[in-house]
Amino acid sequence: MSTNDSMNLRHDRRQWLKASATVLGASLLPLPAVPAETPQAKTATAPEAKPAETKSTARFFSPSQHHLVEELSETIIPADSHSGGAKAAKVADYIDQVLRESIDDHQKELWREGLRLIDLMSQHYNGKAFVDADSEERIAILTVLSDNDKMTDLPEVRFFHELKRLTARGYYTSKIGIHDELEYKGNRILQDYVGCDDQGPASS
Amino acid sequence: MAESEINLAKTYDAVVIGSGAAGGMAAHVLTSHGLQVLLLEAGKKLPIEQELRSMEWPYDNAYRGALPPDRHSLSFNEYTIRRPPYGPGFEKSRHLHSYVGDTDYVKNIVVDERENPFTGTNYAWVRARCLGGKTNIWGRLALRLSDYDFKAKSRDGYGEDWPISYNEIAPYYDKVDLYLGITGVKENLPYLPDSIFQRPTKLNCAEVTLKQGLQKMGRVLTQYRAGVTSDGLKHNKYRSRCYGRGACERKGGCDIHAAFDSPTGLIYPAMDTGNLTLRTNAVVREVTVDPQTGKATGARFIDSETMKEYSVRAKVVVVAASTLESARLLLLSKSRLYPNGLANSSGHVGHNFCEHIMGPGVAGRAKDLVGKPPTLDDGRPGGFYLTRFRNLAEKHPNFIRGYGFEGGSGSVMFPHGTDSHGFGAFFKEEVRKNQGAYIGMGAFGEVLARYENYVDLDPVVKDKWGIPALRFHYKFGDNEHRMAEDMKETAQEMFEAAGFEIVRVSSRVLTEGWSIHELGTARMGNDPKTSVLNQFQQSHDVKNLFVVDGSAFVNASCQNPTWTIMALCWRSCDYLADELRKGNL
Repeated sequence: MSTNDSMNLRHDRRQWLKASATVLGASLLPLPAVPAETPQAKTATAPEAKPAETKSTARFFSPSQHHLVEELSETIIPADSHSGGAKAAKVADYIDQVLRESIDDHQKELWREGLRLIDLMSQHYNGKAFVDADSEERIAILTVLSDNDKMTDLPEVRFFHELKRLTARGYYTSKIGIHDELEYKGNRILQDYVGCDDQGPASS
Repeated sequence: MAESEINLAKTYDAVVIGSGAAGGMAAHVLTSHGLQVLLLEAGKKLPIEQELRSMEWPYDNAYRGALPPDRHSLSFNEYTIRRPPYGPGFEKSRHLHSYVGDTDYVKNIVVDERENPFTGTNYAWVRARCLGGKTNIWGRLALRLSDYDFKAKSRDGYGEDWPISYNEIAPYYDKVDLYLGITGVKENLPYLPDSIFQRPTKLNCAEVTLKQGLQKMGRVLTQYRAGVTSDGLKHNKYRSRCYGRGACERKGGCDIHAAFDSPTGLIYPAMDTGNLTLRTNAVVREVTVDPQTGKATGARFIDSETMKEYSVRAKVVVVAASTLESARLLLLSKSRLYPNGLANSSGHVGHNFCEHIMGPGVAGRAKDLVGKPPTLDDGRPGGFYLTRFRNLAEKHPNFIRGYGFEGGSGSVMFPHGTDSHGFGAFFKEEVRKNQGAYIGMGAFGEVLARYENYVDLDPVVKDKWGIPALRFHYKFGDNEHRMAEDMKETAQEMFEAAGFEIVRVSSRVLTEGWSIHELGTARMGNDPKTSVLNQFQQSHDVKNLFVVDGSAFVNASCQNPTWTIMALCWRSCDYLADELRKGNL
């Protein structure tokens, strides 16, 4: 797939969505499935909800969704010669926790819908599910979304932003992210302030 | 420290309402004069070290340091599209907080917006109802004002001069410096006087580059002047010196109390004198008065948990509830003698409300630092302060008064740049290579004190304790918007002069209130017709009533107010103690 194709996201999506409608039934139309306005604007009129079940341990993702999120997050932040990637940092577990504890139904729906659309795209462009695609094929799918990341009226683009945001958040707050990848030097006790003319921090 | 129980039968020498920077300072100064002081705080005494956990790693926190999911903190967008009271539309969140309440470490420090509603114009009103108030989480930038501020009207004709000059308050700034500790570097600037500094922090490499670029333009960048003790304080056993631990950029306080907070800096030492009684959970609803003499007699408060109401008596009432809460309390204290509220014969209570405008700023990268080995850049209480340069010697054609920038650079625990375009191996490497090269700064500018910007009481809406809510009539004006335009342009120009690659220039003005520097609602002055307080923060109308917080400010200047609040309060409380001794109150 050339990068020119990526500019035709609006055109292409009709085809892969049509394919999905044929397979899964027309109930999935019309699109987009998730409205673009802020979640709070909607909850204003929503019926009173129960307090958040923060102790919930039931998984948000099914095993196959979890596998897909692992591969997606690893495509966003892959392992390289410097450090482990999102998979090693258990980013999918982190995202599952965020979503199962979330009280934002729109966010949850965006993830469910986003994962479905990713596989439809993968079938369309690569002829196979995302997790069955090789690394280059996976990158090609996310490149379509990244190159069109201003099209936030499209749920798959909003999903891409959300995937990237939570992957970064999960990764750079993990041990691997902070210590191995960034080699963060702070959060320890020092004798003196460190500045530009110092060789390095004097640790106590 | 010895905690004594409140005695409802006793007439205290003074009752102090509020335990933040001003109330804590009043408690310290008055008890040191031997006065018997009762300190009332609307919120709880929190186990603050357990709340702040300054060195907790994100991966050891259940939410990676974020706000627990059953809570919500308001975003800029929500402040923009919604009107107060903030609450409707967020029914799914068990607690709703101001924008500051967006981490697991401050969730119990900032108030629940629904329990504490207000109405009127949009305002990001950040309130902390707990012992110490906002000093538990303040930004720590501790600056002095100068006669460029105190005598601003004499310079440009706008507003009013303060009834004091720098020489009169300078000795009290010195006292605050020595008692609480402050870091910084002497610059000998007439418009930003030096403090008595402890060991300063250091600039990192991008900051040095910016400083050098600015020198060519005649502008000054100095180390962050932080209200933090870097050498330690021999007279205070509750506070440690700063060990530069490096989570200081995280919103939240300092669990070793190297950064000033009112409880460890002022209140606990005041308790050790044996002269202070603290009553928490005391929501004051009225300052009571004697209908015969017109003098204040004490306060009525509601216990925040039991909802029971109590009265306490004192010879002097010291209001220190924060600029907006103090104005609210004066307006609530209506009586036959004072139908417009207490200390309000001028009609100025709630008016001349001012603060700092913020939002415009710049982010960039120092190209020579890209790809360099990681360094420790945030092991200090702050980065830099870029001092005011407008309307000092020359007159700007578009606006009066000035602004300064707060900024910092280098690696932080959660890296900059994760919102940059792309993904994958290249994205990951870019974040890593650029993390130490980032530098950014944002402006704080003076919002002019205007009579038309004010708060009053809402006739309908009440808080959780049945007390009328505050109603806002407050907007930034033309001078502020023209100043904000200039902030953006100069920010960009200075980063270009330093040779930085510009990543983002922001012209967006943040919601009114964002600076958390609200001031001026009971201003000082020599004329009782146009001011609420005299130069000792004493009511013109009620001589045993003092209002010692930011509400006394005559203008906002562009410098952060906490150090000035405490210096003024110290001066006023010295006067109060002297007058009480002489029988003049």
